[in-house]
Amino acid sequence: MAQIKLFGYASKISTKPGETIDIHVSADGATEAEAKLVRLIHGDEHPDGPGFMEEEVACEADGRWAVRKQYTQVGSYLEVADPDAKLALDGPITLFAFTYVGLPEAGLRQCLLGRWNNDKNFGYCLGVNQRGHFEFWVGQGSEVDYVQAEAPIVAKIWYFVAATYDPATGRATIHQESVANRYNSLLGRVCPIDYRSHVSERFRFKPKHLADTPFLLAGSRDFHETRGHFVSETFCGKIDRPGVYNRALSRDELDAIRGGAAPKPDGLTAYWDTTAGYTDRGIGDEVIDVGPHGLNARGHNRPVRAQTGWNWSGRNDCFRLAPEEYGGVEFHYDQVVDSNWDVTRSVKLPDDLRSGCYAIRLRAGPGVGLSEEYVVFFVRPKTPKGKVALIFPTASYLAYANEHLSFDADIIQPMTGQPPIVSEIDVEMYKNWEFGMSTYDSWADGNGVCYSSYRRPILNMRPKHRMSSMGVTWAFPADLSILAWLEHKGYDYDVMTDEDVHIDGLDAMKPYACVLTGTHPEYYSERMLDATEDYIEGGGRFIYMGGNGLYWNVAFREEEPWVMEVRKLDSGMRAWAARPGEHYLATTGQKSGLWKNLGRPPQKTVGVGFIGEGFETSRPYRRMPDSYHRTVSWMMEGIEGEIIGDFGLAYGGAAGLELDRYDLRYGTPPHARIIASSGGHSDNYMLSIEEILYPYPGLAGSQDYRLRSDLVYFTAPNDGAVFSTGSIAFGQALPCANFDNNVSKLLANLVDAFIKPGRLPGSLWVSEEKQWK
Amino acid sequence: MAGAWRNPLYLWDVEGAEEEIPATPYASPQRVWDEARESKTPMLPVGRLRYYYKWPGHGGALWSRLRYWPTRRRVLNIRGEYNPKTLRREKTIVDKRPIWWALGLLAFMLAPLIMPGGYQNTLLAAGATFSIYAAINLCWMLIIGTAGIYSLASYAVVGAAAFGVSWMSIHLGLPWWALPFVGAGLGLVFGVIIAIPAIRLDGFYYALLTIGLNELCRVYTLQSKQFGSSTGGLYGADSYVPDSWDPFDQQLLSYYACFGLLLLALALYRIIDGRRLGRILKMAPEKREAFAEATGVDYRRARVWVFVVSSVGLGFIGGFYASHYRGVSFSIFGFDTVLLGLAMLVIGGIGRAEGAVVGTAIVIFLDKVMISTGPLRLVLIGLIMLAVVLLLKGGLFGIKAQFRAWRDKKKSERRSIRSEKGGEMLPEEAAETKDKDVLYWRRYDKMQRDFLKTLVSEEVIEEHRKQPLGQHSEPLERLLLYFRRQPLGDKYAITVVQPFKAYRIVAMSGQRGVAPRIVEDKIYASQNEAYHGVFLRRVQDLLES
Repeated sequence: MAQIKLFGYASKISTKPGETIDIHVSADGATEAEAKLVRLIHGDEHPDGPGFMEEEVACEADGRWAVRKQYTQVGSYLEVADPDAKLALDGPITLFAFTYVGLPEAGLRQCLLGRWNNDKNFGYCLGVNQRGHFEFWVGQGSEVDYVQAEAPIVAKIWYFVAATYDPATGRATIHQESVANRYNSLLGRVCPIDYRSHVSERFRFKPKHLADTPFLLAGSRDFHETRGHFVSETFCGKIDRPGVYNRALSRDELDAIRGGAAPKPDGLTAYWDTTAGYTDRGIGDEVIDVGPHGLNARGHNRPVRAQTGWNWSGRNDCFRLAPEEYGGVEFHYDQVVDSNWDVTRSVKLPDDLRSGCYAIRLRAGPGVGLSEEYVVFFVRPKTPKGKVALIFPTASYLAYANEHLSFDADIIQPMTGQPPIVSEIDVEMYKNWEFGMSTYDSWADGNGVCYSSYRRPILNMRPKHRMSSMGVTWAFPADLSILAWLEHKGYDYDVMTDEDVHIDGLDAMKPYACVLTGTHPEYYSERMLDATEDYIEGGGRFIYMGGNGLYWNVAFREEEPWVMEVRKLDSGMRAWAARPGEHYLATTGQKSGLWKNLGRPPQKTVGVGFIGEGFETSRPYRRMPDSYHRTVSWMMEGIEGEIIGDFGLAYGGAAGLELDRYDLRYGTPPHARIIASSGGHSDNYMLSIEEILYPYPGLAGSQDYRLRSDLVYFTAPNDGAVFSTGSIAFGQALPCANFDNNVSKLLANLVDAFIKPGRLPGSLWVSEEKQWK
Repeated sequence: MAGAWRNPLYLWDVEGAEEEIPATPYASPQRVWDEARESKTPMLPVGRLRYYYKWPGHGGALWSRLRYWPTRRRVLNIRGEYNPKTLRREKTIVDKRPIWWALGLLAFMLAPLIMPGGYQNTLLAAGATFSIYAAINLCWMLIIGTAGIYSLASYAVVGAAAFGVSWMSIHLGLPWWALPFVGAGLGLVFGVIIAIPAIRLDGFYYALLTIGLNELCRVYTLQSKQFGSSTGGLYGADSYVPDSWDPFDQQLLSYYACFGLLLLALALYRIIDGRRLGRILKMAPEKREAFAEATGVDYRRARVWVFVVSSVGLGFIGGFYASHYRGVSFSIFGFDTVLLGLAMLVIGGIGRAEGAVVGTAIVIFLDKVMISTGPLRLVLIGLIMLAVVLLLKGGLFGIKAQFRAWRDKKKSERRSIRSEKGGEMLPEEAAETKDKDVLYWRRYDKMQRDFLKTLVSEEVIEEHRKQPLGQHSEPLERLLLYFRRQPLGDKYAITVVQPFKAYRIVAMSGQRGVAPRIVEDKIYASQNEAYHGVFLRRVQDLLES
């Protein structure tokens, strides 16, 4: 019997009691799974903490679910809506496109454009063959005829490629010319490379078509008996302004198109102007056909828009400035954005469900490891009633969703200072392309992954999961330690997600006296940042419980909040660097990158900002002299000694992993105080890259004073206040000694004070000091 | 201070940070660089002169390619490429065999024009015989080479068909033009009968069976009055050669008729071997049948098909044989005929058409043209066959591949003698490395390892055992940084057997989507022990390199 494996996802990440949530499940080796709604309380199995904690909750969906194997379409492509089969050409044909091939040596056939049935060999197509040459082929079912260009494709060079076919003479010709300029391609003019090729052959037959074959860009129709139709032969690279004629164009006409002239309307069947429909606020998945039939194409798995086109001149750096130079649509044969599985069960959540973090727990067979799955989602209250809110940073979960760092990134071991510890779930995630990748990975052609979604199983957004490269919990399972603390302390709390903050803005946070973040709210959209700022300004009390937060500018589409876009560029601790000219978010038209580089460093909102990271040891904080001032000393009540947090589930300290510090240069409010700071970090802690103008020896923990985490407190307008922990490991110190420890005490002092309306403690000790001591 | 290391974090009261621990005295990492002033092995000049012409690319001109009608095969398989040394566009004929075939067949066609007068008879007769035998051998090659069935009954099929049609021609008055077709029908019947045991029997046993069958035919015809036991064969069949022509014209006609037969056999070979059936069988080579079957290749069916079709071809040749020689003798069933045929296949090389044809040409030349040398020629054939079997892997036409393999073997032997393992690349290796950055990486890595080896000590290992994570002494930190920066292929990692209780060491694949492999069975009880286990393995690998 096959090994039993269960995977699932919920179609929405944030829901409310009484609502219905769709759960999508795929199972290997099992036809039934035992489902149970559970409330998740603690997710870290570290022996120094309380261990994994969940609470079973009665739900109508509890019990046996029928499950089956479901498949995911891997690879991005465009599908043309052609109900009248205008593109089922069996007479003369011309196909043309500008293209930039990412992986010509993949050894796989990759389609550029065509109406091709790969299963039955019907239709026609222009693409890249297994030997890495452009090729045009037609099929009549029993046989296929090919014509291949003579010169192999050079990777990452813009080409104009066209194929013409004339059934009267049987002549099929493929044309290939370079359109590389000084900016747009990998190689410059100094390379003595002749890119041109024009080859002609006499085909034996005309293409025949099947009625239901779709016209695809960057893929072809395929079929599998248990899966049905799917798309194969997907492509790695960019395609710009492709088109189809129902006549064979002459070389001069093709040369004119290559030169940038608009294609002549005579015989034009379709011409997808990839630059049409751009707005100042972003670009959608629709690629517009400006030809006579309006055969628009729709993107699947989010082909990357707003990429530099064949005619990018280097002068403009954004599609908003010169849309005509940004016609590149980028595809990847290993891109997955949406699993698109059938709904296994629509679950109606109980009406009286309290706000919290929930999961449908699925078990089959042994019910451990791969045969156990938690489909995680978050439940907000119908109407906010708690005093405290915990924001789960779901944008960061998306950013790290199914990261492959331990397996693919050469940098990870020197960075984390330890060999990775992988589990069978990590290995499964790595082996199976269907789970997609995180924004910390690169697609096969080396380009960074800029889209991530939760409509696919996210195997590291699960309780108990430990980040393999670091050997500790990370993001979601670590954030549960904060939830467990709120639960243990008996606070009246609600939960919400980044998605709620992004969609509802200030309204999501406003009802709460005190709002806590997760341990690593690194990815922030503009609306999230605005809402946070407005909440604090409006008198909210905000506890930033993490490190390296409010760091990257990300974007979500209004209608598809489950997909996040980020472009990593210029500086910052980044897994990849966007190519020149591709620094703007296709989703919104904003520049991506660090908020610091956009004029909003995190210090400006929460008083601290990222300074460095290290991953093999954590350190405690020691009280700073300013913490004895009566404006802030109240938070130290009940804490003995100066050392805070010399314990923790993340490397045994409360200050660790990623650290933030106070910095007036970046907008830490001038009245902010440093309550305590960590120190004595090892040399694995290195300064973050955006802090370094010139690198020199000694920019590491034991030699640079800046490498530390600061606990910072400041008051805000309207009795608002901000407390920042500036460390990811802080939250993971809370559960130690059964939540009875000085980190827990400090946080409790703060939350207790913050949920009381009116003036904050110590707020009257503000006169100028006239002291004898 | 020599022999000790002071932890800078000691004053911070970091857990496990001892104020001072024993350590290896400082050694400069630059020393290895200063000492390495030249390569340890002589750097020999490499590069091969372009003394021949290489076609350039077509550039902007249109290249109209020709095909073999009615297939999609191009007349010549030409690869367009960039010369890696100059980036010049070049064209290479990947497969030159069509050229050799065309020249060879043309030469054979024109040969009668230049045959010396005295030998004309012998040569024309030998040419005709060669064509017939080559045709038979091509069909046989389909059975042995393509289908992989060790049948020795091919001559028996030819003989049976020849005897059958001769008898029909003599007794029923079958005209000469019908003989090949009736022969083909007989071949079909015979082929089906012999194919049945081929489904169950393998290799040696099947060969035995077919030898037996051959012998049975011989003994049967030898004793049968019907088949001319008294005359040594059955003669008097109708022939395509008109008796009225003068002997030279007759010989010329039969020379070209047999040549036509050879062309037909070549076409059959190409159609079977190069198209669907042949491709299916190439996916299921000997000893890998089970794998092919598991992936959905019905190789048994394909084998039987090839066998039956070849038998039809052999029957056709048998019919032609009868009308060519006006009959047939028992010798066609003779064991010597089978052996001679086998010699032709083996000398040329199993599994290729040119092997069958050239092997036949050599043996026929020795056997029929050098007839004056007497029995010595048979010894010569035997010697050639022996030499081929002993020295060559794939017959005459395997020489090229065998030579290249031998050259590669010599090359790697020479390189392994000259180069240091993991050391600087040799000029000849550099020429084969696409990314020249790797050349420097190799040098750098070698220097690093030479230096780091000197840092491994009891103290360093003990320091790591006590505290695998955290601030380490300078020598240990250097070792760890080096280990951590190794490429991901075969890099050690840890896998969880049971969280916080049991861990195991694995090695990463370094290839997308390929799972890590287990490297040892040992179970480590904690993360720290597993970290130390990885460290010890890495140290060992370093010292062994």
